[in-house]
Amino acid sequence: MEKQPTRRGFLDWLIGLCSAAAGAALTVPGLLYLWPAARGGASEDVEVPNAPTLAPGQSAILQVRGKAVIVVREQTSFTAYSAVCTHLGCLVKWDGSRKEFLCPCHAAVFDKNGAVVSGPAPAPLPPYKVKEVGGKVYVSLS
Amino acid sequence: MGLSRHVRKFVDSRFDTETAESFINKQVHKRLPPHTGWLHVFGSLSLLLFVSQTITGILLLIYYRPTPEAAHKSIQYITAEVNFGWLYRQVHAWGASVMIIAVVLHMTRTYFFGAYKKPRELTWVTGVLIFIVTITFGFTGYLLPWNQIAFWATTVGTESANKVPVIGEWLRYFLRGGDAVTGETLSRFFVVHVIILPWVLTGLLTVHLFLMRATNLATLEAVGEEKFAPPECGIPFFPVHVAKEGVVAVFLLAVLVTLSVVAPWEIGEPADPLATPAHIKPEWYFLPSYQLLKYFEGPYGAFVGILACSLPFVLLLFWPFLDRGKHRHPKKRPIAVGVGLLAVLAALFLGVLGHLSETDRTIFGRTYHFDLLGRPHQVTTSSDPSQLNHVD
Repeated sequence: MEKQPTRRGFLDWLIGLCSAAAGAALTVPGLLYLWPAARGGASEDVEVPNAPTLAPGQSAILQVRGKAVIVVREQTSFTAYSAVCTHLGCLVKWDGSRKEFLCPCHAAVFDKNGAVVSGPAPAPLPPYKVKEVGGKVYVSLS
Repeated sequence: MGLSRHVRKFVDSRFDTETAESFINKQVHKRLPPHTGWLHVFGSLSLLLFVSQTITGILLLIYYRPTPEAAHKSIQYITAEVNFGWLYRQVHAWGASVMIIAVVLHMTRTYFFGAYKKPRELTWVTGVLIFIVTITFGFTGYLLPWNQIAFWATTVGTESANKVPVIGEWLRYFLRGGDAVTGETLSRFFVVHVIILPWVLTGLLTVHLFLMRATNLATLEAVGEEKFAPPECGIPFFPVHVAKEGVVAVFLLAVLVTLSVVAPWEIGEPADPLATPAHIKPEWYFLPSYQLLKYFEGPYGAFVGILACSLPFVLLLFWPFLDRGKHRHPKKRPIAVGVGLLAVLAALFLGVLGHLSETDRTIFGRTYHFDLLGRPHQVTTSSDPSQLNHVD
């Protein structure tokens, strides 16, 4: 025999539904509150302060909008790559004599174009645009 | 009439103290199984260390400042200026390691004595959760001094989350509070370490202790074949077992203070987000996982590695439901004991490899370079002492 719906059963179901909705209404803002707020503002060119003092083969690491960037001075130009090793996030160093980026944590090696040469890194170093205006050097994250 | 009698009368006239007293007396004078001995003190030792960590942690909180600018300086201030600040900091730092050792020893004893079997499965499950929370305490607390090693170990640790397919980047972003380890990360780790985890652990410990008391300690008899010996055959919890625990507590205090004086934890250099020091390694209790991760390469290697590192914890959690044999005595459980021994040896082996990897060591007069994977390569010195040649 089929069970007939009762008023009490319906009210139990309705109270459960309202409780779940109230729980979700309280939980969702809490979870969104925990999500990190975006920082750093609009993407724009950032000057590399000590670039003019770098000799050919030297490098500098700086933070651009919270991201570590390594700028390398070549003979007549500059290149810039993400300084964050794609293996586990340590910062690479530029070896001017070998013309390679080396990770001090797990010995990943990248060539001067950011491509993986050896070691555990799964991907190349992402490049950034560099431009020189009026003797100043700028890195663009866009 | 003395003050205590007045207080007693006041309380008695308002509450049912007889029931409460009878409950406390029952717990205090409970008889434990006859085989209960020194190996059964690691649980209360872990509890004592949690209490010690809570007290020293509260004392450190009075002077600690959780910001990138002030965190390292406040640790220096605690160590150099505050009365006995050095002692409380050292006891807290050493206490973290000793607590993990105590919890592991407690779990090891429980495992090999088969004490996780029916009806104590949930006691074991809450115990494994306590172990995981204890390790998370270590991970979150490690960043708080905001020194170079802590900063970069946390960078590497949170970067591992990025290897999880699909949600990895979000997970890392959420854990760090941004793209990189910054003050946002410090705030998050601080809140988790000093507010969330202590309450989670308190809740888990309450359930664990309740379950332990409700089912009493396990004997070594098989499930369903327990012989209910008369109470007088058991070991009195008080004073016999409590006395053992007291001895161990005093010994523990001596060990913690001795370690604090003889082998103090360094404060280290302040964190520099633009310079990674060479050969970053995690704390010793993460070394087995850290080393295991290195053997997985390729696009999905890191993810498979994370799964491999998580597997032992999942197995631990569900072990009472996988090992359904009725025997508890180690001699009658060769497979479970073999698996346990292998797991302990594998963890020790990987931990030692992780410790040795990327270092040069002199063994019996010969120098070896241990590479990323922990493989030794003999090193020969040329006439120029600054030049080292590796011989594979």
